[in-house]
Amino acid sequence: MSRREGSLEDPQADSSVSLLPHLEAKIRQTHSFARLLTKYAEQLLQEYVQHQGDPFGLPGFSPPRLPVAGLSAPAPGHAGLPAPERLRLDAAALTALPPLLEVVRRHQAELNPRAPRLLRRLEDAARQARALGAAVEAVLAALGTETRGPRPEPAAAAAAAAATGAGVFPAKVLGLRVCGLYREWVSRTEGDLGQLVPSGPA
Amino acid sequence: TAVISPQDPTLLIGSSLQATCSVHGDPSGATAEGLYWTLNGRRLAPELSRVLNASTLALALANLNGSRQQSGDNLVCHARDGSILAGSCLYVGLPPEKPFNISCWSKNMKDLTCRWTPGAQGETFLHTNYSLKYKLRWYGQDNTCEEYHTVGPHSCHIPKDLALFTPYEIWVEATNRLGSARSDVLTLDILDVVTTDPPPDVHVSRVGGLEDQLSVRWVSPPALKDFLFQAKYQIRYRVEDSVDWKVVDDVSNQTSCRLAGLKPGTVYFVQVRCNPFGIYGSKKAGIWSEWSHPTAASTPRSERPGPGGGACEPRGGEPSSGPVRRELKQFLGWLKKHAYCSNLSFRLYDQWRAWMQKSHKTRNQDEGILPSGRRGTTRGPAR
Repeated sequence: MSRREGSLEDPQADSSVSLLPHLEAKIRQTHSFARLLTKYAEQLLQEYVQHQGDPFGLPGFSPPRLPVAGLSAPAPGHAGLPAPERLRLDAAALTALPPLLEVVRRHQAELNPRAPRLLRRLEDAARQARALGAAVEAVLAALGTETRGPRPEPAAAAAAAAATGAGVFPAKVLGLRVCGLYREWVSRTEGDLGQLVPSGPA
Repeated sequence: TAVISPQDPTLLIGSSLQATCSVHGDPSGATAEGLYWTLNGRRLAPELSRVLNASTLALALANLNGSRQQSGDNLVCHARDGSILAGSCLYVGLPPEKPFNISCWSKNMKDLTCRWTPGAQGETFLHTNYSLKYKLRWYGQDNTCEEYHTVGPHSCHIPKDLALFTPYEIWVEATNRLGSARSDVLTLDILDVVTTDPPPDVHVSRVGGLEDQLSVRWVSPPALKDFLFQAKYQIRYRVEDSVDWKVVDDVSNQTSCRLAGLKPGTVYFVQVRCNPFGIYGSKKAGIWSEWSHPTAASTPRSERPGPGGGACEPRGGEPSSGPVRRELKQFLGWLKKHAYCSNLSFRLYDQWRAWMQKSHKTRNQDEGILPSGRRGTTRGPAR
């Protein structure tokens, strides 16, 4: 018995069992949303580095990848996990991101007060991450998969992120890291949902 | 890891900076020997650095230029392999100069908007915060305007809770990391800086068959209709394919006007604006409103070119404002007194003009059907 990665079918069940239409629609819709946010996340990152000045944004710029409290990048083995577990990790990351994006927005409001588009993109990103996280959790619920137990308080993690790295340069680096994590996780979510989308027209 | 000192310093343009990068706890055993500096991504010349001790690299920068970005110039300390050990952001600029040229206006006495010019054209290379403050002249606390950038980067809007008949003191404070500056105080009464909406319902129409005139009518701005004021109006008009406006500015306290001396068979765009001067007895001039949306109309066609002009002609029975009609008015007045011609009036004069144009058209049409070189006889009016 093999387990196809990304398949939601029970290998022991009849192979003709298909996803319910409403679940299929929900997955397609959430996947489209994730695809859109991946594009926005890329734009946010570009706008962010532009306002921090060189060397931010220069090819080869590689600041120290300091850990961000409460959130890490997708693990190398993420793609090999079962679909429900991947979606749970996606939802958890998307839930942790909004307070961190708010911290970055507050820093940038002081550093770049005359960059309204950047500040708006950060605000939108926090809201959109929250919405995508809720959508992924709805997909998990529709799949009959329980979400994991209590996670670290996002607000507390964000406060820890705000407190560490005193100084403007560390704050710029933190913002770059958070924007980068946001891009990684929405892209990862798009990929994970994409593997669940049934082939053929919607 | 490493630490740069000073962290995030603020400096005057042209000043110098002494900084250090101290390495500590690095597992690879990096020393100050291999370290180097970059500023905004560009590697700094080695002669600007010197090794202070085994773990500290010093930097000396002179005659600093203004910061390249408002978030600060990025001074970074690198290990030998190029990896980033620490960073510090430099803020190099100038203190703000005194803001000046504050001007304010109130829309319909309900709010106050002010604009100002930053000192030194605003280029301090540092984020400079401008705060508009105001208070009643003889009492009350300082208030701070909260709605900025409403009509440009250096403007603020106070939407409510403004007193009339008592002067305000208004000033602007500019602050950045290097200091602050305050403008001179402007004292004004809200009633002296009132503006209003453009006149609504502007209509432009022909005056019968008169090919050189258009009639303009409008309504006084409704927001101020309950207040005692003597509005002044201005009209401007232009030919459709021209950018040159002609202005008629002797239109006082009336809501209609006749434009004369126009070109026949031509489309004109017309706009009207209002100045609510003298509101509540204010002696000041008031502030012109924006122009109304353009309204278009065309004069009737004619063979005969119209004279130049730009005055506001009176409607039937109204006093003349142009020289020809002024003289005509005097003549008619004299006639009534001495020749007992009581039926004479401007209306009759306009009817005569319309008849003259019609008969001129008819004459030209007749001439058009005759062979060239021969002229038709002029016909007089039918009796």
